[in-house]
Amino acid sequence: MTQNALRMWHAGRMALLAGSCLAIASVAHAADPLVKACAKDGEFVIGFSQANNAEPYRQHVNDELQAAAKAVPQFTLQIADGAGNVNTQTSQVDNFITQKVDLLLISPFEAAPLTPAVKRAMDAGIPVVELDRKTNGEAGKDYTAFIGGDNYKIALAAGEYTSKTLLPDGGEAAVLQGLPSSTPAVERLNGFKDGVKSNSKIQIVAEQAADWLPDKAQTAFAAMLQAHPDIKMVYASNDMMAAGALLAAKGAGKSVKIIGTDGLPGPAGGIEAVAKGDWSATFTYPTGAKEAVDMAKSILLDCASSVPATVTVDTTAITPDNAKQMMGK
Amino acid sequence: MSEQQIASNPAVQPAKRIDPLAVLVRFQSLIGLILVFAGGIIFSPRRHGVILFIQPDNIANIVRAVSETGIIAIGMTFVIITAGIDLSVGATLGLASVVTATLMVSGGFGLVTTVLAVLLMGTCFGLVQGAISSKFRLEAFIVTLAGLQAARGLALVVSDNQYINISYGDGPGLAPPIFAILGGRLFGNVVPVATIVFLIFACIATLALNTTRFGRYVYAVGGNERAARISGVPVSAIKIAVYAITGFASALAGIVHAGQFNFGSANDGTGYELTAIAAVVIGGTSLFGGSGSMVGTIAGTIMLGALANILQLNNITPAMQLLATAAIIVLAAVLQSLVRRREGLGR
Repeated sequence: MTQNALRMWHAGRMALLAGSCLAIASVAHAADPLVKACAKDGEFVIGFSQANNAEPYRQHVNDELQAAAKAVPQFTLQIADGAGNVNTQTSQVDNFITQKVDLLLISPFEAAPLTPAVKRAMDAGIPVVELDRKTNGEAGKDYTAFIGGDNYKIALAAGEYTSKTLLPDGGEAAVLQGLPSSTPAVERLNGFKDGVKSNSKIQIVAEQAADWLPDKAQTAFAAMLQAHPDIKMVYASNDMMAAGALLAAKGAGKSVKIIGTDGLPGPAGGIEAVAKGDWSATFTYPTGAKEAVDMAKSILLDCASSVPATVTVDTTAITPDNAKQMMGK
Repeated sequence: MSEQQIASNPAVQPAKRIDPLAVLVRFQSLIGLILVFAGGIIFSPRRHGVILFIQPDNIANIVRAVSETGIIAIGMTFVIITAGIDLSVGATLGLASVVTATLMVSGGFGLVTTVLAVLLMGTCFGLVQGAISSKFRLEAFIVTLAGLQAARGLALVVSDNQYINISYGDGPGLAPPIFAILGGRLFGNVVPVATIVFLIFACIATLALNTTRFGRYVYAVGGNERAARISGVPVSAIKIAVYAITGFASALAGIVHAGQFNFGSANDGTGYELTAIAAVVIGGTSLFGGSGSMVGTIAGTIMLGALANILQLNNITPAMQLLATAAIIVLAAVLQSLVRRREGLGR
């Protein structure tokens, strides 16, 4: 079967990027920089090939990247929307190569189809930093670096929070899974299941795929509540599905504890839903935007000759304790 | 019924008057293509004095990106000239891509067997839709809408809701390495192989439409079905044949897709039917049937690709691209309607 199912990320140890302000002066005999044209006062174009702007989480990544890039006057950020279409995304990467951008950021819609395009960029001497999703190959060799969260660990944290804090006395739980064919959906499902194993009184009585979509989640969770009226909590693999689950619970006149994933900001996002008391928690899926711009700074401005191949960004639990103060961030 | 009689049938005859507006419509997509290219050159970003837009690499990017929708649009042209429509093409591409991947990876079939089987499957899929539509006198819109759902459903069943990655090599579970050539480039590593497939298919289709009896029959069926029937054109057979062609074209596009991207996915090709219809309409083919040109479709396809490219090179948002495409479609349709009105067809 496919190699991307159940592929565990080798979450490297947390690699903290040195703040670019700490440029070490006069590095003698350093290895060649990754980008020869690097310079403190240069002007650089960074191309970001986004998988699909239609997903709210990805728009959130775009917003954070734009904010982080704006803070660096030497950088111009260009974002191309692959619109969930590997053909479109491939042509956009090719266009960035034509433009000779100084650095390519990419969240590939799918791994295998975008692998050749990433190789073409690397062959053209453009460093490639992959964000949130990987292409095939090895970080540090086939592409410059990978920055992202660890889906399994995030869901594991949600499962452990359920065991210890949410349902310490046990009860029936349900899971809404993302698009079953996608790696994050599989990893988040497994992570949550492993997280609730520590409490034997919790039973997962229903799991259904709702493809990341709120309307499908509402329908699926309404059916689950019909079949299992004693469900005490539901784990939704993203915030959108958690919003759908809330509608279903309200429709059934039941109070169900809801955990989301992503921790999106804004009025429709998970942080506000927790602050309002609609959900019990949501676990952020960090965008890695700040880390990506920091890495671009060290490559393009500080003439780094190497960067960490994998940067894993940790999740933050958004609970009633901290939701209000996180809203302002 | 002889060919001469068909040729003298008014429904089949081209308009005699030379009308400048009609000429404009006849070549609207070529004129549009020239305008887009001129705009591309004018508005192209420059790097060190080099106009990026007309770099061979960039032109290659443009024609590679449109090769899949182009192949589909070519098939769609036949259907639309008969006043039909085929909404199942994008879904058939997805189905063909997963079947291609499955046959080679888990089936262990060779390249030739796989390609022939997938092309046959696509052709049959189109044949069945054409036959149902023709036999039960159903709107092609409805039949192919059902065909779209059926193809997606079948694709999900075949692929078990999974993306199927294609790895190359010799042995079980590996596809023949030659298949990866579809993602490659020839002639000094410039011309994308996917584009070559598109252009070969385009040449064959242009010849078929412009020089064969079949092509004349296609125009006849779309121009005036009753007249065509009376003059002895096998209307049902032609109608079934054009859907078989779109099925074949979609399967071919699916094979190209799988080869370019080394994977098959049931959801790929979503929305391609609309892109293809847009290219055909911009190419000057009327949805009322009876008139249209293959060269126009090809120009329309490349024009849409060039437009997307120049907007991205200038970092203009995808929203603008959609709005620009919308404006071009409306313009093309308005031009056609003006000509029709002038010819007294009243629609």
